[in-house]
Amino acid sequence: MIRPRIVIWAITVMLFFLLLGLLNLEVIHGKRYQELGDKNCIRLVSQNGSRGRILDREGRVIADSQLSYDLMILPQDPGQQEKIILSAAQILKVSVRELQKALKKEYISSSVPVTIARNISVKEAIALTELKVDLPAIIVQPDPLRHYPGGRLAAHVLGYVSEIDRWRLTRLEDYGYKTKDIVGFGGVEERYDYYLRQEEGGVSFEVDHRGKIIRTLGFKPPVNGKDIQLTLSIKIQKIAEDYLAGRKGSVVIMDPYTGEILAMASSAAFDPAAFAEKNSDALVKLFNDPNSLLINRAISSAYPAGSIFKVIVAAAALDNKKINPNTTFLCQGSTFVGRGEFKCWSTHGLQNLQAALTHSCNVFFYKTGLLAGAQSLHDYALKFGLSKTTSFELPYENPGFIPSPLWRKINKFKNWFDGDTANLSIGQGEVLVTPLQITRMIAVIANGGYLVTPYIVKAIDGRDISVYQQRSEKLNFKQGTLDYIREGLRGVVNDPTGTGNVLSGLTVIIAGKTGTAQAPPGQPHAWFCGFLPYKNPKFAICVFLEHGGPGYVACVTAKQIIQEMINQGLI
Amino acid sequence: MRNSFFIILIIALLICSLGVLSIYSSTYQKEGKIWQTIFQRQILWIILGLVLFSIISNISYRRFWDWTYFLYGAAFFFLLLVFILGTTRLGAQRWLRIGWFNFQPSELSKIVMVIFLARYFSRKAVDDIELLSGKFGMIRGLLLPFFFTALPVALIIEQPDLGSGIIILILFITLLYLTNVRLKYIFIFLLVMSLPLPFMWSLLRDYQKDRLLVFLNPNIDPLGAGYTVIQSKIAIGSGWLWGKGWLSGTQSQLHFLPESHTDFIFATFSEEWGFLGGVTLLFLYYLLIRQGFLIAQRTQDSFGKLLAYGISLMLAIEVSINVAMNLGLAPVVGIPLPLMSYGGSSIFVTFIALGILVNIDKTRAVF
Repeated sequence: MIRPRIVIWAITVMLFFLLLGLLNLEVIHGKRYQELGDKNCIRLVSQNGSRGRILDREGRVIADSQLSYDLMILPQDPGQQEKIILSAAQILKVSVRELQKALKKEYISSSVPVTIARNISVKEAIALTELKVDLPAIIVQPDPLRHYPGGRLAAHVLGYVSEIDRWRLTRLEDYGYKTKDIVGFGGVEERYDYYLRQEEGGVSFEVDHRGKIIRTLGFKPPVNGKDIQLTLSIKIQKIAEDYLAGRKGSVVIMDPYTGEILAMASSAAFDPAAFAEKNSDALVKLFNDPNSLLINRAISSAYPAGSIFKVIVAAAALDNKKINPNTTFLCQGSTFVGRGEFKCWSTHGLQNLQAALTHSCNVFFYKTGLLAGAQSLHDYALKFGLSKTTSFELPYENPGFIPSPLWRKINKFKNWFDGDTANLSIGQGEVLVTPLQITRMIAVIANGGYLVTPYIVKAIDGRDISVYQQRSEKLNFKQGTLDYIREGLRGVVNDPTGTGNVLSGLTVIIAGKTGTAQAPPGQPHAWFCGFLPYKNPKFAICVFLEHGGPGYVACVTAKQIIQEMINQGLI
Repeated sequence: MRNSFFIILIIALLICSLGVLSIYSSTYQKEGKIWQTIFQRQILWIILGLVLFSIISNISYRRFWDWTYFLYGAAFFFLLLVFILGTTRLGAQRWLRIGWFNFQPSELSKIVMVIFLARYFSRKAVDDIELLSGKFGMIRGLLLPFFFTALPVALIIEQPDLGSGIIILILFITLLYLTNVRLKYIFIFLLVMSLPLPFMWSLLRDYQKDRLLVFLNPNIDPLGAGYTVIQSKIAIGSGWLWGKGWLSGTQSQLHFLPESHTDFIFATFSEEWGFLGGVTLLFLYYLLIRQGFLIAQRTQDSFGKLLAYGISLMLAIEVSINVAMNLGLAPVVGIPLPLMSYGGSSIFVTFIALGILVNIDKTRAVF
């Protein structure tokens, strides 16, 4: 057989060939590589592209990158190192020890430049570059840094950028993320990091023993990140944040037909620039703040709903024909459910659905809720998109919670009583919702029965993606159900006795519902959700103030926001 | 004939211990507890591998004839599992997590494919003592076995693990050549395979393209894909004749050389042990592969013969491609150096292969 011999010969020749390769590399060219390796003659200088910008719906910049300068030194010559640190400390007006500490901390190996000072001014950068004649180991590296023209504006929507943490690194390693990469945390920065992030480029060159460049070995140009355009309008966002005025709470304004988020304010807000500049004092303060500054209150924390939940009770009862628009109940200030006395906040007398919504009469809704049944209330709440996330793009969305008899039986081994149904009917008890969910719920009433998916990113890299973003689901209601509720919600604002009458003086007709959610200890949470104009609604709005007082306070804030929007010609 | 058992065992253990030394040297300066224990884990893999080796060497290799379809099915199933789990996790994934062990099915499928092809080409007619493969036409001699090879190869390349896929394809071609299949068919096959190569370019992943381009000129991407090749060459080159000595290789211990304990362990080794060390290591591999070929030549049974050739070729190809990759003579495709590189799957499969080899020699003496 000849074939096996040929194969064996081929393999032997191959191994011999590798031997020659080894000989060539190690012995014949060994000296050169030894020089390259021993004296660390190869230098790598990386150059960063800038991270993609984040724009508002009209293309105004919310976050972009600005050039900052970093001072780096090549650490191969210890004598030069000390001189550089001494003169750099003079120019930068920092202590020598601080620079030495930074040098120690950032040191990787003798051929990789070490960053000893970040974010230095242009003047300092020029002064340091002049030193380069005597001390060639100095490198002044331009480095794009995140910059926020609006300060804290939309901080929670944006998120912030910082050095990658271990958890993210293990998840993202396969996508080419490395240690010390700058990545987004929270908000759009995190969700769309893949598009926003820049690609690192750099130069490698060979240097002589003095650190002078002999020749460039290779170059890879850096690539900038892609721009992301949001549906947010800076103007509306600013108005919303101004009138929240630092009180804990949130304002969400959404297009009720498409689900575009026009404003999403969460307060108290943090300053994202503190992360970009690595201002450690500010960061310590930020993380220790008792107001949990990093939480986006519009989506990430859930609160009891209070009276705004009555919208769902009304829909459930009407749709199941448990009541009709003419059904009346007598409110005498309280009612008995079983042996417990359940109070109303006032004595309203004879109330039909529309009047009960207008006056937010608890007694009417206790009775209506009991007629509809707890399971039905739970099912309708889910139909309106509560108790699950809204599939909104930004990370860390809270699903909220709506209790049901079955849930209680399975998870708590307790029975469900009529008193619980009554509590559920006014949105108290275990009910938890987020302001975004409520905005979506009220949008269903506004747009005639479509459960929209809220979204905030309109275009990536100039390519409009709203077609893919707009998803809505048609909810089936009986003829008239939504009309009766809408009528009631108009009364809330426009009837002189309505709970939200304070909003009525404006040039647009608003419909909505107030809520005062008991949240002991402390003040109740204030809610207002609504839509405007009443006919052909263009905005769904939800104002929420954490421990802000009665619903009236939220109405006042909503009025100020809407008034300002009218003044600026935005409606 | 216990002779080959000890020869193979001693050579394998020598290579393994050089491997452990290099792994220790390349990781002991890195921070983190995982890095500190990595050489201990490798020792554990080797011990388990030795257990597998002694078990397999006592199982008659004829059993594998019977188990071929089961083994093929199992390997295919695991590859499919990786494919499905990989797509749901959106990332490139080559391994299945079984307890604390990351099992790499593509490694296993190499040896399974060798068994499968060896069996396929050594079938005999019932009333005939001659091999069927000499009478095979185009379909049974070429297309059918290629179909059975292409199935797992496609899944492996999809993972994406270009290296293992290419190894199996090369194995297929060489095994085809070693059987009685007509040369004409093999040439036709090679011709047909090489025709669509330019079109395959667009099917490659971006990073695979990068690596091929970088192979042609490492300096187009000095910080990314080219970096490894440049650093690997510097590491090997700076070893010179005697090497820098154990634990004093600067390139691999500082963070210069990525994958210095897996695919690029040859560079780590060469830097510290120099040209002499490199030559010794290559010689050890040569001895091991030669043992395989000697066993194949001694064996009369056609299945055993082909199996022994296949296993020796598998080792030879893996070693050649890996070393060539380290020397910058082949594109970086991600193939471990058998018995040296860190990794349980590779160690296990290599020891299983060696176990089969030893058993072929032992059983032959019984006949």
